[in-house]
Amino acid sequence: MSQDNQALVLACGELKLEKRPVPELCPGDVLLKMGFVGICNADVHFWSEGKFADMVVKKPLVLGHEAAGTVVKVSCGVNHLKAGDKVTIEPIVPRENDEYVRIGRYNLSPTCFQAGFPPDDGAMCRFYVHKANYCYKLPECVCLEEGALVEPLCVALHACQRGRVKVGQKVFICGAGPIGLLTLLVCKAIGVTLIVVCDMCQERLDKAKCLGATIILKVDKCTCPMELAQKVKNSLCAMPDICLECTSSDTCIQAGVYAVKPGGIVVLVGMGLATANVPVTNATVREVDIRGSYRYTNTWHTAIALMASKKVDVKPLITHRFGLDQAQDGFECVKKGAGIKVLLNCEAQCPSMCPPPCPPPCPPPCPPPCPQPCPPPCPPPCPPQCGQQQSQCGQQRQCPQHSFF
Amino acid sequence: MSENLSLVVHGPGDIKLEKRPIPEPCPGEVLLKIHSVGICGSDVHYWQHGRIGDFIVKKPMVLGHEAAGTVHKLGEGVEHLKVGDRVSIEPGVPRENCEFSKIGRYNLSPTIFFCATPPDDGTLCRYYVHNASYCFKLPECVSYEEGAMIEPLSVGIHACRRGGVHMGQKVLIFGAGTIGLMNLLVAKSMGASPIVVVDMVQERLDMAKCMGASCVCKMEKNTCPREMASKVKTALCGMPDVTIECTGAEQCVQSGIYATKSGGVLVLIGLGNTNTTAPLIAVTTRELDVRGIFRYCNTWPTAINMLASQMVDVKPMITHRFPLDQAIEAFELVKKGTALKVIVQCEEPEKKEDPQANALEQCQQQCQQLLQQCQQQCQQMQKDQKEHCGRIGGGRS
Repeated sequence: MSQDNQALVLACGELKLEKRPVPELCPGDVLLKMGFVGICNADVHFWSEGKFADMVVKKPLVLGHEAAGTVVKVSCGVNHLKAGDKVTIEPIVPRENDEYVRIGRYNLSPTCFQAGFPPDDGAMCRFYVHKANYCYKLPECVCLEEGALVEPLCVALHACQRGRVKVGQKVFICGAGPIGLLTLLVCKAIGVTLIVVCDMCQERLDKAKCLGATIILKVDKCTCPMELAQKVKNSLCAMPDICLECTSSDTCIQAGVYAVKPGGIVVLVGMGLATANVPVTNATVREVDIRGSYRYTNTWHTAIALMASKKVDVKPLITHRFGLDQAQDGFECVKKGAGIKVLLNCEAQCPSMCPPPCPPPCPPPCPPPCPQPCPPPCPPPCPPQCGQQQSQCGQQRQCPQHSFF
Repeated sequence: MSENLSLVVHGPGDIKLEKRPIPEPCPGEVLLKIHSVGICGSDVHYWQHGRIGDFIVKKPMVLGHEAAGTVHKLGEGVEHLKVGDRVSIEPGVPRENCEFSKIGRYNLSPTIFFCATPPDDGTLCRYYVHNASYCFKLPECVSYEEGAMIEPLSVGIHACRRGGVHMGQKVLIFGAGTIGLMNLLVAKSMGASPIVVVDMVQERLDMAKCMGASCVCKMEKNTCPREMASKVKTALCGMPDVTIECTGAEQCVQSGIYATKSGGVLVLIGLGNTNTTAPLIAVTTRELDVRGIFRYCNTWPTAINMLASQMVDVKPMITHRFPLDQAIEAFELVKKGTALKVIVQCEEPEKKEDPQANALEQCQQQCQQLLQQCQQQCQQMQKDQKEHCGRIGGGRS
């Protein structure tokens, strides 16, 4: 490779660009020149706290799992992709053909490779190798920036599938962050006509309204769950069939259970709270199902089709772009809660080589945003525990002779 | 007809045996002579607390909803039953064809009639009227007592259906009371294996083993949920596909979340605290489905088939029987928690020999006979006198 690989490495709570060798290709792999990688809430948690849910950063790690790039080289046996193809990556790749993989629920396989989650390196780098079967070609009409949003769109899509969202239903979405808004877009694409969205931030709620939410409800830390549920019912003149809970807050989980109709479903999409106070008696006597939703399975093709057909337009969600060398600013931005989706441009910063960003969409007529600012962000948490010194990456990828995946 | 002796709850701690009028069946209804009624934990709860959640005893209410009896009188238009038919009662009868009824989930209908849920009267009485469509004829080979057990059996059927239990699955059941055991029987009949049952009481675990549990695990008050999950995994040589939680205890709900295999189902039947602290992150990241159960729908015909074909044997669960006039003692026993299923026999007992009553009756009969004799003699005397007077005064006229 004529160009060096630079990777954004998280070590001891700090993000640094490091020179790393361009990875070698194993059978079944493709080498990608990374285009855009989105910064996820999980990435910010790894950076600021050294952990997210039960995943802990124990050694230097390259983050990034919401990614799109261009194929540079394919290994032998790869027939569906060629150099120059624009692709988006599915970051979880099963390592073994276990019982979950065999029933098609590979998202539950405990030994999966998970790009950007400890201990597996992700795609916030210039050159990245991934299994070809988990790289999906983007059609001409979908740009690399949009390609970076396919992964969170898949989270939303999978959640709607888990909730069995159907045309004509009434849906309550908790949270108007990237996942909440993408969930809103998927629901609309499915044909849901009445959607209520709640959030603490007025700007995000205004965005939700622009993107097609029927009703928006502002909540705050003191909102009583039963009161919120009642507001939802009043606004819909009915109880919602489904609640897609994207905040992982106690208040919203409880409100979701109280709000949905008997026989309804609450889908837990948000991850964050280890334990929560759940109104189980209410859920039991009204046969309200509570279903966890974790990542996705077999959603990439659908997500790309939704984007290509313009049934889902993710461009309004892209609010900030930073070069890989300004990644820290990008992370700060996400941590503050500013904007919606922040992308890192992973291409080498040579003006002639930078792909033009997607043209900004024509702003639809939105109501003026509320003059009140968003609530102040949480104070930065304690620095992570890692005491390791920064070290050069000496990782070797394990190359099986034959890759099933 | 004699009066309708009924067990009535008035308020917390207040139940009485009372005589009530015998009701008349309206069109579409039948009057039943109740034979056997099982006592449920909810009946005891209404007695002790006067309420369950938002259902509050505001006026006197007859208890009992696990019942079987005999058709005594038909209301107008009832054609599928006749007098003398032996039936089991489905206590939940929807009052309107609401959106839930229309999709077949009538158990969720908010205006449903339900025996012994305030304000609807139950079946712990001699005579009871019910919607004929919700009375199911029992075949000869199914006894009245088994008919009364169809109600708790239905909870098991509904739970296993909602849980998607099917053959070859590993199942975990928390609680070896009546509901836990019914779930065990149903899961077994659906082909699940192995099935592990967890309880705190050894006798109940022994019963579970007798009734077909592959293995049993004893849980203590301080057993950590993760530890319980690990024990279950060892017992089943794997994690259960479906967990059925029948206790309502927080410890069991948490254990169920840790124990159930990824992508599996946790069925919640037991009602405990309003809120429970739950490790929801595990529900999310392992895509568990947590499904609540409220009563049942469309289970009676299945339950009757299962009993008639002897696919399940519920008789061992019946440990005590009391006549209706000793119903309060029956409730005291259930409250103690040592019995499994207690049945109340509601048919009026046959009249016993009462010497005093007999003597009185005999006396009355004798008096009647004497009176008749006197009257006959009187008439004869009058006749004789007439004839005599006729002969004497014959020439007068």
